[in-house]
Amino acid sequence: MHIDIKKEIKESGPGKAGLLILLVMIALALLAPVLARYNPFLQTADSLLPPSWEHWLGTNHVGQDIWSRLLFGARTSLLVGFGVGFLSTLLSTIFGISSALVGGLYDKVVMRIVDAFIVIPAVIIVILVAAYIRPSILVLIMLLALLSWQGGARVVRAQALSLKERGHVAAARSFGANHFYIAWRHIVPDLGPILLVDFIYGVRRAVFMEAGLAFLGITDPTMVSWGMMMRDALRFSYLNVWQWWLVPTGVALSLTIIGLTFLAYAAEPVIEPRLRGAEVA
Amino acid sequence: MFSKRSIITYAIAFAFIITLNFLLPRMMPGDPLMAIYGNEALIAMTPQLKAELVERFALDKPLWQQFGAYLLALFRGELGYSYYYNAPVLTVILGRLPWTLLLVGTSLVLSTLLGIVLGIESGWRRGSRTDRIMLTGLMSLNGFPDFFLGMLLLIIFGVTLGILPLAGALTPYSGLSGPALVLDVLKHLVLPMTALTLAHLSSGYLLTRNTMITVLKEPYMLTARAKGLSPRILKYRHAGRNSMLPVVTRTGIWVGRVVTGALFVELVFAYPGVGYLTYEALLTRDYPVIQGVFLLVAISVLAANFIVDLSYPKLDPRVAYAY
Repeated sequence: MHIDIKKEIKESGPGKAGLLILLVMIALALLAPVLARYNPFLQTADSLLPPSWEHWLGTNHVGQDIWSRLLFGARTSLLVGFGVGFLSTLLSTIFGISSALVGGLYDKVVMRIVDAFIVIPAVIIVILVAAYIRPSILVLIMLLALLSWQGGARVVRAQALSLKERGHVAAARSFGANHFYIAWRHIVPDLGPILLVDFIYGVRRAVFMEAGLAFLGITDPTMVSWGMMMRDALRFSYLNVWQWWLVPTGVALSLTIIGLTFLAYAAEPVIEPRLRGAEVA
Repeated sequence: MFSKRSIITYAIAFAFIITLNFLLPRMMPGDPLMAIYGNEALIAMTPQLKAELVERFALDKPLWQQFGAYLLALFRGELGYSYYYNAPVLTVILGRLPWTLLLVGTSLVLSTLLGIVLGIESGWRRGSRTDRIMLTGLMSLNGFPDFFLGMLLLIIFGVTLGILPLAGALTPYSGLSGPALVLDVLKHLVLPMTALTLAHLSSGYLLTRNTMITVLKEPYMLTARAKGLSPRILKYRHAGRNSMLPVVTRTGIWVGRVVTGALFVELVFAYPGVGYLTYEALLTRDYPVIQGVFLLVAISVLAANFIVDLSYPKLDPRVAYAY
């Protein structure tokens, strides 16, 4: 179980590429206020301008600077992504480990709930909820996290079940350690790589979902979202504005997801060691 | 051959969906009638109709009695009435369903078959240049959301080249029939179908490739090779067939998601399927339709999982011993 995830990523071409893409996106998002030359919400009369020195990617239908919106969109995308990824991994860890340690009826109940949620497509639940309440970004993050921890919990539980039979856990137990102590001191540290992979998958899924939902119009109106920008751009697809409006936005979104996919792929052998060596064999 | 565990899982999932469907509109502040029937209903509302609607869902009674009335209506197959379309929800949804089935069905078959073939070829050559190019290419493709692919196709083939129609599933008021009609439907189908196929190609490919790599290490592959079988038979009959199981499972699960699977692509191409219906209902706050779609999604997902579970032991006899 002691696998060096850093080595795993460093040794894979796609892993390095994914990490690089992601770091660039994070940098763009963090530096958005510095790099943006306009307020992304500022509406002006200069609508649908082509790219120029003043507006690198032109302006949209209400005269907002597209380059500035692209930068601030990265913030929303990554905020939702990392927020959901973190919360959902946290929930996976809590329910996965507690299920494995407590066992019995509690384990059965949690696992049946997990199975039931894996079966239902999350998109449609979010749509139903969003039809009634306009979710703010916080509500959206919590909703997506609630709908995406289940797969990870199953993986964590399986791993924790095997860890709990190890000698050092039995030793700790014989000294009178309780569930919390064992979970925190002996199981969580050994789960590290698995949790990281689960986190990357969680972020990836959330970035995807956020964009898709915003594309449907389900988004926080106080934030700029790539999905929303693409939805606006679609309405003007008969003009040539798509070249600097739709394409850069879509590419930014796709690159973020691709970066996360590559990263997850490089870290995958941690969960599925049978895949190790698939590239060299 | 059906496990108790799966039945419990499906029961929980179904109970959750029904409860959510029931509770959400009734928990909203304001008039529950509006939350159940949507904005349009209030315009059509007469005191008599209002009394009838309150009566039907027992809205003047305690919550648990309301739940009873709701379940009773569901059992009778009443999904409610859409005041926006002025038709029963079931009729509205069933009218849109064939288009979604056509679109998702064709792209599912295409992406699965193509994914399996590419996965077999790639896994067979694992580590080679071809394999690496295919792997990187398809993983990158995986990152493109289906609506972005759809919009790119729309702009390239619909707007710029102008060779394929931009929206809809049929040319309206064309009065076409026979082969001309079929051709018209196909022309409208090509772009959304391609977008969906491309978007789902990589998951089938990755699954097949991964299993293929594991299968190739099995002793029976060595035996088959030692017998002097041709590479084509080795590749497809021995390794390929045994690599298909996870893909079949994935496809089964996707069949269940047929209703929501094309949501975004249908929106891009204004394709009149259930996904587009859901989007319109979201815009117009046509709650009965959203709830109906939600229920339909639940039923189809559960049915598909059920079928996958049932067919598993037939596909892989080893599973039969596990029970």
